[in-house]
Amino acid sequence: MGDAFRRAESGTQLLARLEGRSSLKNLEPNLFAEEGSPVHGDVIEFHGPEGTGKTEMLYHLVARCIIPKSGGGLEVEVMFIDTDYHFDMLRLVTILEHRLEQSTEEMMKRCLGRLFLVNCNSSTQLLLTLYSLENMFCTHPSLCLLILDSISAFYWIDRSNGGESLNSQEMNLKKCANFLEKLVREHHLVLFATTQSIMQKSTNSAEGFFPLKLQSEIDADYRPYLCKSWQQMVTHRIFFSKQFNSGNSTGFTLVSCHLKKKHVAKRSFSIAECGVQF
Amino acid sequence: MAAGVVWVALKGHPLGVTRHHCSVGGPMGMLRAVCPHGPPWYPRVRYGTPWVPIPSPHRSLRFHPRSAPSHSAGAMVVLRAGLCPGLTEEMIQLLRANNIRTVVDFVSSDLEDVAQSCSLSYKALVAVRRVLLAQFSAFPTNGADLYEELKSSTAILPTGNPSLDQLLDAGLYTGEVTELAGAPGSGKTQVCLSIAASVSLGLRQHVFFLDSTGGFTASRLYQMLQARVEDKEEQVESSAGPLKAVLIDSVSAVLSPLLGGRQSEGLAIMMQLARELKTLAKEFSVAVVVTNQVTRDSSTGALKSALGRSWSFVPSTRVLLQGRAVPWEEGAAPHTACLAKSPRQPTGMQVQLDIGSDAVQEQRPVTPTP
Repeated sequence: MGDAFRRAESGTQLLARLEGRSSLKNLEPNLFAEEGSPVHGDVIEFHGPEGTGKTEMLYHLVARCIIPKSGGGLEVEVMFIDTDYHFDMLRLVTILEHRLEQSTEEMMKRCLGRLFLVNCNSSTQLLLTLYSLENMFCTHPSLCLLILDSISAFYWIDRSNGGESLNSQEMNLKKCANFLEKLVREHHLVLFATTQSIMQKSTNSAEGFFPLKLQSEIDADYRPYLCKSWQQMVTHRIFFSKQFNSGNSTGFTLVSCHLKKKHVAKRSFSIAECGVQF
Repeated sequence: MAAGVVWVALKGHPLGVTRHHCSVGGPMGMLRAVCPHGPPWYPRVRYGTPWVPIPSPHRSLRFHPRSAPSHSAGAMVVLRAGLCPGLTEEMIQLLRANNIRTVVDFVSSDLEDVAQSCSLSYKALVAVRRVLLAQFSAFPTNGADLYEELKSSTAILPTGNPSLDQLLDAGLYTGEVTELAGAPGSGKTQVCLSIAASVSLGLRQHVFFLDSTGGFTASRLYQMLQARVEDKEEQVESSAGPLKAVLIDSVSAVLSPLLGGRQSEGLAIMMQLARELKTLAKEFSVAVVVTNQVTRDSSTGALKSALGRSWSFVPSTRVLLQGRAVPWEEGAAPHTACLAKSPRQPTGMQVQLDIGSDAVQEQRPVTPTP
């Protein structure tokens, strides 16, 4: 009985893998420096100070995913893990209403039915929630996007709970990062995570992380403070900042870096009623 | 989150099993049934539905109301007998011998290895793992259900000041934390009093005013109520509605002594407080308003709110108040309010506020400056 039980569990996993997850290549080409991104297994980090459009960009991605193919979207399911109660459903609905041609109740319900939302209150709960979501990825083959807003929300609380040793302070986040990597690899997902810039730029800023040629492009005050396991699994890092135009509006810029191939691209965007516009 | 453990008989379960362990919780009081022999199942049951408790072998059943999330899931919960059905004392001892002490250790370990080294039944371990995960992890909600719930529970509270309402896109939204930042004398307490008067009188809902600076004056509030409504009866009548607004004046007076220095405990306490405020706003559908001081940005010289970078992520809306009331000068700069952060409106909008002595709200022309 025990053997059959074990086989049944891996059978679902195998089926989910064989059925394959749809490609997210056309998700948002403006976010990436090279063509054909993101591919399965990519981990993209959004980094920036507050008010620079990270959460708006996430709404834009969610809207692109949940709108049906007839409306120009990708018609895939999205799992949104919200760690600081930041998610504003009413704003997402406004964006959807602007993007759908006929925004009837029925259509809206069907689009929103493709979005799953979880709220986590501590890093331990985040870890346990990730374990319990594993089952969900097996049973929903159209769930290919995982969004985590934000992964740095528990940073100060963990640091204070961990006492003196850096190891115990980072332990929870390290376990979360390791398990996220396993989830993304095994179930062929794409992970978008936001981190907040809560640290001041140090005087010898970001020297070892980027070659000098790129540093002028990235004039963001980036100082890595999360654990090494997280930093090593990130494949793309996108820096957000505000751009004060001469005219009326405030624009935003993003600088997208592919960490392995060292490609960098800089784009600007604005935020209107209908969401992010490039 | 969930801390209720109840055995119920559910008829018509798709797998045909009629006895489940249920944990109560989730954003809408969803009942989540975890059957140890199958996938979790989510019947939609709202709070208040009567359940029939069945006598079960585990006499240690308790029912708690929804406890504060931080207590049950924040600390590393140690495994002990009776934590969940199926977790016996002998099992605990065997697990402890293999260095598995907490829930996280148990959930993250490979159950096949544990079954072999502890000589426990693999099936029993899998059942316990399912139940522990159901008890301590958060539930995913479907977007459509959440939207339905929000449509019925979100309210927009008028602030009592028409130009401020225009700045905030019709008023204060429940479920969000709004920040009013300004220098001393810029009118933060007056605006808070005006909100309190408007919500308690106009909407007949309860308002919770937390004053940490001693700036709350009942006579001023009475003046505001008098200006709105002539009838004395209406002014003193206690409101019947639920709590809709929580005003905290000011949060920087409480938190700034904790910040600074090299220790991170102050920041941890601040983030914990921020988390509690946001949970309060979202779970109970209240509008939380906090007031804050301002400092100048070192590089650009612009005004920004105090309490540092980590706090700046917390409120979803931020209004900067400026203008100082100088009693002996005629034609002093009027009070202005500028929108610094908003999830719905473009930032940079600026209006004039009327925080006069009689608090009668006149229609002031709105002057949006780029």
